[in-house]
Amino acid sequence: MKRRVGGLETEFGLVCVRADGSRALEPEAAARELFRPVVAMGRSSNVFLRNAARLYLDVGSHPEYATAECDDWWELVAQDLAGERVLGDLVTQANERLAAEGQDARIHLLKNNVDSAGNAFGSHENYLVDRRGEFTRLPRFLLPFLVTRQIVTGAGGVVRDDDTGGGDAGRFVFSRRSDHMWEAVSSATTRTRPIINTRDEPHGDPSRFRRLHVIVGDSTMSEVSTHLRFATTDLVLRLIESGRTLPDLALADDIAAIRTVARDLTGMAPLPLEAGGTTTALEVQQRWLDLAATVAEGPAELAALQDWQRALDAVRTGDRSWAATHLDWAIKERLLGQVAGRRGITLGDPAIERLDLAYHDIDETQSVFRALQRRGLAPREVTAERIEHARTVAPATTRAHLRGAVVTAAQEHGVDHVVDWTTMRLGRPGAMPVQVMDPFATESAEVDALLAQIREAGEPAAPPPA
Amino acid sequence: MSQQSLNAPGGEEPEQTGPETTTGGQTFASAQGAGDILDEIDEVLESNAETFVRSFVQKGGE
Repeated sequence: MKRRVGGLETEFGLVCVRADGSRALEPEAAARELFRPVVAMGRSSNVFLRNAARLYLDVGSHPEYATAECDDWWELVAQDLAGERVLGDLVTQANERLAAEGQDARIHLLKNNVDSAGNAFGSHENYLVDRRGEFTRLPRFLLPFLVTRQIVTGAGGVVRDDDTGGGDAGRFVFSRRSDHMWEAVSSATTRTRPIINTRDEPHGDPSRFRRLHVIVGDSTMSEVSTHLRFATTDLVLRLIESGRTLPDLALADDIAAIRTVARDLTGMAPLPLEAGGTTTALEVQQRWLDLAATVAEGPAELAALQDWQRALDAVRTGDRSWAATHLDWAIKERLLGQVAGRRGITLGDPAIERLDLAYHDIDETQSVFRALQRRGLAPREVTAERIEHARTVAPATTRAHLRGAVVTAAQEHGVDHVVDWTTMRLGRPGAMPVQVMDPFATESAEVDALLAQIREAGEPAAPPPA
Repeated sequence: MSQQSLNAPGGEEPEQTGPETTTGGQTFASAQGAGDILDEIDEVLESNAETFVRSFVQKGGE
């Protein structure tokens, strides 16, 4: 697809502690407290926002934010950050309520992917692909790319490998996610987690579209890292869809390989190929990058190629000067190493794990990532104005525009409404649903009629809540 | 880190950062910015790090 719709679902970790760090509220109670304003406004803990994103509580009391459909990857980054800010405000409000009640309790919301007991939660990328196209041959080409992508877009972190060295001292890895991947392709998400999930929920016309659900990614704090996840994967998908002859880099064992790649900071560890012989993470990424250069168009894609190359160069040469202020894994590698050195502790020390959690804290006053960003030590590519805009305005070039218009009108006029990814209707019994099955649609006479109904049914427009 | 704040004095404005001082993996681009943040991190890691980490246990999601 030349133009592709994508979206990002982020599950957040939740912990509520006293000043001494001990647990103050169970996750279920903390989630209820956090979502109090959401439930008050939407009468549900599962709502669509004016920016057409979905905000809800998922399995395990994980707050989840799913961006609306985007067809531009910087817009997607802005929409994702808007969700971070929405949830950050909910954290601030909840902590103010708890403090006003005199409770020794503070909620932390963490945009990471694993708790201290090893329970995982996700950052799921969605890409619209053509139903008729190349879905059956797609995983064969896409998997080696996804297995090795972590050397560019991993969030970094520390694992304790008792068998392969490291042990209690801990070792730095590109991504901890690799240890939570159990198969290459399947329909599961919670039991035996795959790299590509095949659950067939197109959220569109099923005869035309399919949704590719990639669940191997880390939640990324760096805007450059998040952008590269989508920009590079989109280019690789375009190459696969082009039907041209592509290098067969199918790996003998995707799961063994993903764990090897995570632990090999040189990018040069041999990865056995299915066809015999070996490759390396750097080679797989460089080959896809070189191919992507033949289809990339426009300034944003060309800039993404440049960032992709800088990332690979950082691994190849060991020169982290660009990566250590742009890519999550490299920012974190430097930060954790410095703090461990300064304190005379190993990476396996609980203080380092605490620091890793603080890096992913989305509360501006608590977040180490945001503190680095304020000092120019982490990238800031999307302006504060653009993020603020994305909190209340949906992407203009996809179906999200229609959903955003309906939610906005219904909220302004105080009209009950029921909305999901494809369908919108008034909340009153018997109201006829309007379906929009084309994710690229930005105009619809039926939606215009629904908007007119909302204006008639509702009160005069009230100013939006501050 | 539960009650302390990592707010930089002066709010959102990034501090002036100097040119790259090293190409190795050990030094921040801005030595001054790095010193500041390491001091702040030292403060917040003094207490309760291990207890906080142990408190963060949640059922899995996805």
